[in-house]
Amino acid sequence: MISLIVALPMLFAFLSSITVYLDHDRIYNEVILLAGVLSPIPIFLYNLDNIPINSVLGGWTRISGIEIGINGVNIFFLLATLIIFPLVAFYSLRHFDKFDEKSGDVSKGSKFCLILLLYGGILGSFITRDLFNFTVYMEIASLAAIILVGSSSTTGSKFASFRYLMLYLLSSFFFIFSVGIIYVKTGYLNFHLIQQNLVMDTEIKVAISVAFTALIMKAGIFPLHFWLPEAHSKADTPVSALLSGITVKVPVFGMILFLMYTPIDFLTVPLMVVSFSSIFFGIFMAIFQTNAKKLLAYHTVSQMGIVLLAISVLDTYAAAHYAFAHALFKSGLFLGIGALASSHETKNLKSLSFRGSKLLMLSFMILSLAIGGVSPLIGAFGKHEILTELSGITTYLLYAASIGTLLSFTKLNYELSSPKKGDHEERHEFLEKVIVFLLASSTIGFGIHYYPKLNWMDLVFLGIAVGLFSVLKFSNLLEWNVPRFYEKDLKGLGKQINFYTTVFVILNSLLLFLILFRDALEGLLL
Amino acid sequence: MIESITGGYLTAPITGVILIMIGLYGLMVKRDLIKQVIAINIISPGVVLYFTGLGYVPEGEAPLLAHSEVVDPIPAALMLTTLVIDVAVTAFALALIIKIEEIDLEELEGDED
Repeated sequence: MISLIVALPMLFAFLSSITVYLDHDRIYNEVILLAGVLSPIPIFLYNLDNIPINSVLGGWTRISGIEIGINGVNIFFLLATLIIFPLVAFYSLRHFDKFDEKSGDVSKGSKFCLILLLYGGILGSFITRDLFNFTVYMEIASLAAIILVGSSSTTGSKFASFRYLMLYLLSSFFFIFSVGIIYVKTGYLNFHLIQQNLVMDTEIKVAISVAFTALIMKAGIFPLHFWLPEAHSKADTPVSALLSGITVKVPVFGMILFLMYTPIDFLTVPLMVVSFSSIFFGIFMAIFQTNAKKLLAYHTVSQMGIVLLAISVLDTYAAAHYAFAHALFKSGLFLGIGALASSHETKNLKSLSFRGSKLLMLSFMILSLAIGGVSPLIGAFGKHEILTELSGITTYLLYAASIGTLLSFTKLNYELSSPKKGDHEERHEFLEKVIVFLLASSTIGFGIHYYPKLNWMDLVFLGIAVGLFSVLKFSNLLEWNVPRFYEKDLKGLGKQINFYTTVFVILNSLLLFLILFRDALEGLLL
Repeated sequence: MIESITGGYLTAPITGVILIMIGLYGLMVKRDLIKQVIAINIISPGVVLYFTGLGYVPEGEAPLLAHSEVVDPIPAALMLTTLVIDVAVTAFALALIIKIEEIDLEELEGDED
């Protein structure tokens, strides 16, 4: 029964691919999109009381069939997907209309078909318990996302899509390579059976380490984040919300599956180093952005670092809860910026303003506090769980990350609250504003439900962030332009892919070196 | 040569790993986008060869009818999915390169970062 959660969106995606060519009246495309995104919700609600659920497709045994299930971890990923996709679908009805004449050779119906494929792929990867099945669903979702990025009419979207495609393929091949090693060593692809037959030798450690490197690249975590800021900022706004909100959670869920079924304690230190690097790199880059969507994209690099931090301290639930929180506030922020960008016809922060709409202003403030981890909003829930697992300097580093995030969002709200030319209420679409407000409200609702506490430290962090922002603003440091290292042409694109592949190979080699020579290194250090 | 070293049954996986290395070299060194797509298309059969080679059983037969000893069919079946995706992705990558070459670079230079 729960397999229908994936099958129905896939069916509607197929129908949509036919109506794109048959339909002269575009209403059918819109009906199919809405039916497709809403169809899994009744099945999910019907099964809600029976969780945890495990079943093998076709009634086969676990050894022969593909196992799927819903438990206390993936329910958060499914819930986020089932909340965000329908809201984004309603948002995109009007949004693509406005941009239809500019969208060039990719029709609105084709984009709807790709959104449904993305939806099916994401839901499939969240409910499967089979390693190869997970890989296939992740590929479906990633490919749909890459094509959606390339189909945007924004200047530079084709460059972003090509970069995303090449790095996605590279990481996919390495992931499949590691799946091969795990299959040979255990004889199975089902996660339960892998767990039962696993002997932690060097080959398995190498396989898990290669798989993690590939997943880190797919999740856009520093130092393998290169594709993310451009792809998320150049895509159409609804697509950006889906990419930053949900799509980057698929590789994160892959890491959680490994955490649930295989011992990854040998990777905790490297993962923690990578996660803190990603958190601070993302914040640093975001602070100096003038493109509002790129600012949010760099915050995704930072926030994915926080989810990886939860994985590095081996807390499955904290990772799932923070990923859920990030999905809600980041999709809300992207949709909000998209509403402003489409009415002001620019993405430059210096020209955007939310003064024309009180609803958007309120939503931005709530969402900014949520991403800063201020209680009782949803961001505080996962952050609190991660903090309980940390000790010593790592606790203070996470506090610093909260302050940095709040500082960056103080800048965003400051710029958006400054008066700009043409702040007219009527220029914002009512539906767009309501959807952004619904997502902002959900961060309060879920926050109070899961973490009904007020933490006075959050107010201190907020005060420090506002103070730091004032100092940086008056010293003109925020006006610094991040230098560009590559030309904006074909040669520059080629060089970027050379460089990014090299970094990927170096990170893989470093992890392999640590695994193979760990004992020798420990001997040297002690 | 590999066959004489490995005794036969590791020939395909080792050749696969060598192909992956060659493809990685191409991606790290070649700046031409078409050559990069070719490099990816060298890594891909490398992974397929590696994976299918893992299912090889010495003296095993094709798993079509009941035999006493057959090669493991699962890796080959799984790799079919990968091959199908690779064909589609290569077509898309080449289409993207055509679109990228049509882009007005002056417009791109003036794009707000």
